Amino acid sequence: MRNFIFSFLALILLPAYMSGQVIKGKVSDKNGIGIPAAMIVAADSKTSADTDFDGNFNINAKIGEVLKISMVGFDALSVKVTSENMSITLNESKDTELKEVVVIGYGSRKKIDNTTAITSLKAEEISKTKVLNASQAIQGKAAGVQVISSDLPGSSPSVVIRGLGTAIGGRSPLYIVDGMPTENINNINTNDITSYEILKDASALAIYGTRAANGVIIVTTKKGKGDRVTVEVESFAGFRKPLRTVKMAGSDAYARYSNAALGNSTFSENQPVNTNWLDAITRTGSYTQNNASISGATENIKYFFSVGNYEEKAILNGLDYSRFTFRNNNEYKISKKLTLNQNFSFTSANSAPKPLGAFTNAYKQSPIVPVRFASGQYGVPFVDANGVASTSGSSFNNVGNPVAQLDFYNEQQRSVTLQGGLKLDYEILKGLKFTSQFNGEYYSWKQYNYEDTKNIWLAADPTRDVANYSSTSNNNLLTRGREQYFNWNLSNYFTYNKIFGEIHDIELTAGMETSVKGPREKLSIVRKNVNASSNYWSLNDVDYVANITSLLDVTYDQTKLASYFGRFQYKLMDKYLFTGTIRRDGSSNFAKDYRWGTFPAFGLGWVITKENFMANVKTINVLKLRGGWGKLGNQNVPLNNQAYASGLNSYLGGSILNEGTTINSQIDPSLSWEVTEETSLGLDFELLDNKLKGSFDVYNKKTDNVILYVRPYSTSGISVATPAHVGEVSNKGYEIALRWDDKISDNLSYWVGGNFSNNKNELSRLKSVNLSPVVGGNLGNGQDTKLLDNSSVGQPLGSFYLYQYAGIDPSNGKMLYYNASGAKVTQDALSATADKKYSGSILPTSNYGVSLGLNYKNFDFSVDGYGTGGAKVYNGKKAQRFTGENIEQSVATNFWSVSNTTASNPAPFNQVPVASTYYMESGDFFRVNNISFGYKLPLAENGFLNYCRVYVNAINPFITQKFSGFSPELNGNGNPYGSQGVELDAYPTLRSLVIGANLKF
Amino acid sequence: MFTLSALFFTGCADDYLDVNQTQSISTKDIELFNNDAGAKTFVTSIYSKFLNWDMSSFGWIGLASITSDDADKGSSPGDTGSDKDVLDNLTYNSSNPSAESTFNANYDGINRCNQALDILPKLDKADANLRARLIGEAKFLRAFMYFTLVKCYGGVPIVNHLPKPTSDDDQKMLLTRKTAAEVYAFIENDLKDAIAALPNKSAYAADEKARASKGAAYALLAKVYLYQKNWQKVVDNCNLVTGYSISPDYAKMFRLEGENDAESIFEINGVGSVPAKGIEGYSASQGARGAGGWGWGFNTPSQSLLNAYEAGDLRKNATIIFRGTTLYDGRVVPNTVENPMYNFKAYSSQYTDGWETDANIKYLRYAEVVLMKAEALNELNQTPDAILLLNQIRNRAGLANTTEVSQAGVKKAIWKERRVELAFEFDRFFDLVRTGQAKAAFAIDGKTFTEGKNELFPIPDSFIRQSKGMSSQNLGY
Repeated sequence: MRNFIFSFLALILLPAYMSGQVIKGKVSDKNGIGIPAAMIVAADSKTSADTDFDGNFNINAKIGEVLKISMVGFDALSVKVTSENMSITLNESKDTELKEVVVIGYGSRKKIDNTTAITSLKAEEISKTKVLNASQAIQGKAAGVQVISSDLPGSSPSVVIRGLGTAIGGRSPLYIVDGMPTENINNINTNDITSYEILKDASALAIYGTRAANGVIIVTTKKGKGDRVTVEVESFAGFRKPLRTVKMAGSDAYARYSNAALGNSTFSENQPVNTNWLDAITRTGSYTQNNASISGATENIKYFFSVGNYEEKAILNGLDYSRFTFRNNNEYKISKKLTLNQNFSFTSANSAPKPLGAFTNAYKQSPIVPVRFASGQYGVPFVDANGVASTSGSSFNNVGNPVAQLDFYNEQQRSVTLQGGLKLDYEILKGLKFTSQFNGEYYSWKQYNYEDTKNIWLAADPTRDVANYSSTSNNNLLTRGREQYFNWNLSNYFTYNKIFGEIHDIELTAGMETSVKGPREKLSIVRKNVNASSNYWSLNDVDYVANITSLLDVTYDQTKLASYFGRFQYKLMDKYLFTGTIRRDGSSNFAKDYRWGTFPAFGLGWVITKENFMANVKTINVLKLRGGWGKLGNQNVPLNNQAYASGLNSYLGGSILNEGTTINSQIDPSLSWEVTEETSLGLDFELLDNKLKGSFDVYNKKTDNVILYVRPYSTSGISVATPAHVGEVSNKGYEIALRWDDKISDNLSYWVGGNFSNNKNELSRLKSVNLSPVVGGNLGNGQDTKLLDNSSVGQPLGSFYLYQYAGIDPSNGKMLYYNASGAKVTQDALSATADKKYSGSILPTSNYGVSLGLNYKNFDFSVDGYGTGGAKVYNGKKAQRFTGENIEQSVATNFWSVSNTTASNPAPFNQVPVASTYYMESGDFFRVNNISFGYKLPLAENGFLNYCRVYVNAINPFITQKFSGFSPELNGNGNPYGSQGVELDAYPTLRSLVIGANLKF
Repeated sequence: MFTLSALFFTGCADDYLDVNQTQSISTKDIELFNNDAGAKTFVTSIYSKFLNWDMSSFGWIGLASITSDDADKGSSPGDTGSDKDVLDNLTYNSSNPSAESTFNANYDGINRCNQALDILPKLDKADANLRARLIGEAKFLRAFMYFTLVKCYGGVPIVNHLPKPTSDDDQKMLLTRKTAAEVYAFIENDLKDAIAALPNKSAYAADEKARASKGAAYALLAKVYLYQKNWQKVVDNCNLVTGYSISPDYAKMFRLEGENDAESIFEINGVGSVPAKGIEGYSASQGARGAGGWGWGFNTPSQSLLNAYEAGDLRKNATIIFRGTTLYDGRVVPNTVENPMYNFKAYSSQYTDGWETDANIKYLRYAEVVLMKAEALNELNQTPDAILLLNQIRNRAGLANTTEVSQAGVKKAIWKERRVELAFEFDRFFDLVRTGQAKAAFAIDGKTFTEGKNELFPIPDSFIRQSKGMSSQNLGY
């Protein structure tokens, strides 16, 4: 490694300087800011020079001679040398495509020179939709990026970039926030973000090596700019309601249906109570956000301070969330060669969570049960002799009272996230820059959960008497949790820019990095019989030992990464582009001989419009072909550290408990990261005076060593399944993005854009091993809906594995299913091993977004929409009816009976229905995500208040969906083999109306 | 920061990436166990296996007890306990869950034995004598589990060392069934090693009486020879089981007070007090079911067993809980429980409905040694000596001497004595098979025992599939 660095330095020291009359000067933009790397050519003297970091140059030339100054992004200029000290101002070029810069790993690149697939979203795009997490805001705005979000406050959306390549490994993209690698950006105030770049293809991603396989999102926060102090304030307030609800049966319809199911008349069909349980547990949600920032720049310091506060009262009663953010980003120019960037953010989030199971209980609980009985006691599903709900009688379902469930649930969580970093840029020589960057992230979380056990017991049955409460049972339980970690990252790299012989433009980046995810410490204590007043939960001088029912104190393994990386970017005659990248990562996650991996990539680009033969083609302004190949890793896979299994204790006679230890796991010492290889091709174009811009991409991604759990041979006696490289997942797809911008007059401009992406995901191969099946999508009633095992080859990941519904038996109204031989049978005659089939996946095959906008005078209007196609969702809450639960209105009014043998719903039944395609529905939807309407007050630019925009946003105003449930966008726990795609205990998608204002002083 | 950078530039060494495990104890840290207490833990985990649900509880009860003519499925007619109905009716197939869990559980235990046998020699800072004894215990326990396997499944793969995942030979070892004779030979070897290493039960401290002892190894070896009809060796080994006696009160042996008593040679110990560590679900799955009951009500005594008790046999009321009676501890078993009889030997007085209770399983008792010796002597034409031994057992149960005198008669009397003496101690089914009485005995219950098939349980389908043709299924499955 050291040899490499020395030779690298030697290479940089090579260029010699020529002598002659020296003309000094500075090239700057119209704001007076120096332009680095501009090229100055003295035609007569046949000399040339580049400007340095601050725009200064020295050139051997004669007074009176013409200097040609050129810089990408600016109009070329020819000036006569008038003195030995020149001051030259360049005008920015009108060709926007030349100016645009995209952030790539460890640097940035002009968009036109970039050979890779990167979607770059700017501040306006991200902050327009008023949601908490920036990733939710970008839904539908980037081709090839699927965002599955939830409106549950504080939840993190799942982001899938160009298809899912792993089954049990980490699925989340790597976020790089101002240089800090992290997994979540919930702590980042969206208003502080200046750009959000999504690196999509291997050629862009390979510089992040073994963490890049799920894609990388680079988030850059704001810096101060301009020469005056700018104060910005934004405030908004909004109201939220479920976008769509499901109409449940009323009391009388419920009674008729349940009587039919029971075959008797347990329930009166003239009920005195008709509870709408969803109304009983929800309220109109409200949220507000207030932000203020102060920013500015002087010659040597750029500064940015911001504070933000977000408060939400969620639609679920009692569920509250708030977040406070503070950020300070400064840039200090210490000397001409040395720049220090410092960023710091503090985020504190408080939440009072409530169990989302309340939504399921509200769906299931019978409308004949009152929220509370006249006695004041919580309603329970007891039916008396008159067939109405009563405080005593026989229990007709085992669903809790969701209102009581929420009232009794008492939890608070609070987290603090500190992120900060220092970045030093030092210009060693002209064109050679050294960057050293350190970032850290500290996270601390605490929680309590108080369970009023005795009162919950009493509320569950109004006939219970406190005197009968078991003396050995606890009165209450208090759980307290604490968690914390510190992660840090240090990178050091050199960047070298040089143009040789006017046509060879090279940029070299080389460096090293270490990334440490410190040990995560978790402490959780459960105590019983604490004081009912929370003030007295943590008393001094009290011996708690006897009241501790469980204690957890874990320090999770830390992980370290050591890396070397290099990139070579070459541009020939502004037309032919090449990028070569290599990263070598060593990861502590793997055994010594298997921890180092190399991730190469290259990209090629051809700016066709720069060719002479295109010079006369006026309709095509930009046409660039690019393509690349690369290898990426996913090191976020199950650890295969072998451990002693402890706790296998036994008494061996007498009263001494002997400790027991053994080894009951097997490790595959060769376990390492999953490797994804991707080949991609793209075309960028701008047509018709740059009015129509777009790109088209195709890619082929293959992860050929996907990790799954393998079951050891039964005779080995090893019961713990071993992670091993056994599968291959392929993702093939294409993406199209188009946007039309036009300005009809100075007062009126508009744009229309859209993107479409298609991805085919497939588990394409499995080694012949004895897999430990991944059984998922559990409905909590003994039914599972998803499967990945040896039979899954050829299926997409996240596939449902279900019995095939075959309609209703017209003779008795029972649901029928196809068995393996194609015969229609009832569920009792089904074989669990033979009759289930793969029935589609929760992963969509297509995603699309549309957007349009209009600016007229001071008014602005925009609409964003998003949709997916090809995904399946499972109506998990509907599939739970066992006995006495409520049904949907559509079921209650149209079910099989002797007089209605062609009904679309089966005869009422009291049995756990098997997981079948009957409850699986299409997840296709199209939703308008945001409509925004704003008005800029006509203010003088130099007044005290120089900018004021007031706006109204409608978030998720409309949806078209095939799914009969609440929302087809079901992130669940984010796991395709968990509750993702299954509507059970799911927070509904919300419609929000927001009013707000932006002010600048 | 530059200093930090410099450190990193020079610190290219791989050591930087060696991270210590903190969430679990790394197997590299064997030194932590290199002492007497540490060495013991590897053998304790083997005993601990016998407390597991899959090893000694529901599946094992189904396979080794409900199948026999001593027990019925019990419970509610509609509650199959997943497969207890087919076990009771001898209609199980090759994917029977109880047969599978018992197979897997024993190999889980065998892995623990092999881990101990691999690790113990490396623990050079632990006392050498202690290590030798622990190795003896591990070998006894391994032999015990192979004996269970060979009784249930016939020849099975002999895993006599820790397999390396990459070794073809080890893969062959794991997947190839050996013959029953080879398994018996392997068991005998392990037991002989154990005999050489183990102390007498009396040498163990009161808190460690449950550990395998020399007497246990001799008794098990005698039983292994009994199954092979090697009568002289049965007698020889029974004679070496010394220091034990027949307890005067049969009933008390199965209560807490009879734990590890003078008759007990090897038993599995459960404790119900906190921290409870007992046989998981053993008492609960066999406890009386329904109103006033405390369990699921499986594995109930059969009419056939009830009929087997002679009048005045004290063992009847010590083995069977009758509905509508009051137990020794004052517990009333009301008439509202679902089944007329329950297994008394799984009952815990103090932790009645607990998941882990103080109910023990007595696997080897001196009474069985006496009966084994009697059976062998009778086969060796020493019928009068056999009768003396048989009467010892009968007299303790409150019965008069046997009236049988012929060799054939005494043989049947001993078989019958084994039934009533050892009821619900997981012996009956295997005794029926061993002695060739099975077909006739099941016929009395109206069940079909298919000779040439039902002597053995099916090897789990899952294993046969893993073996990819290296092992074949037992006949008839």
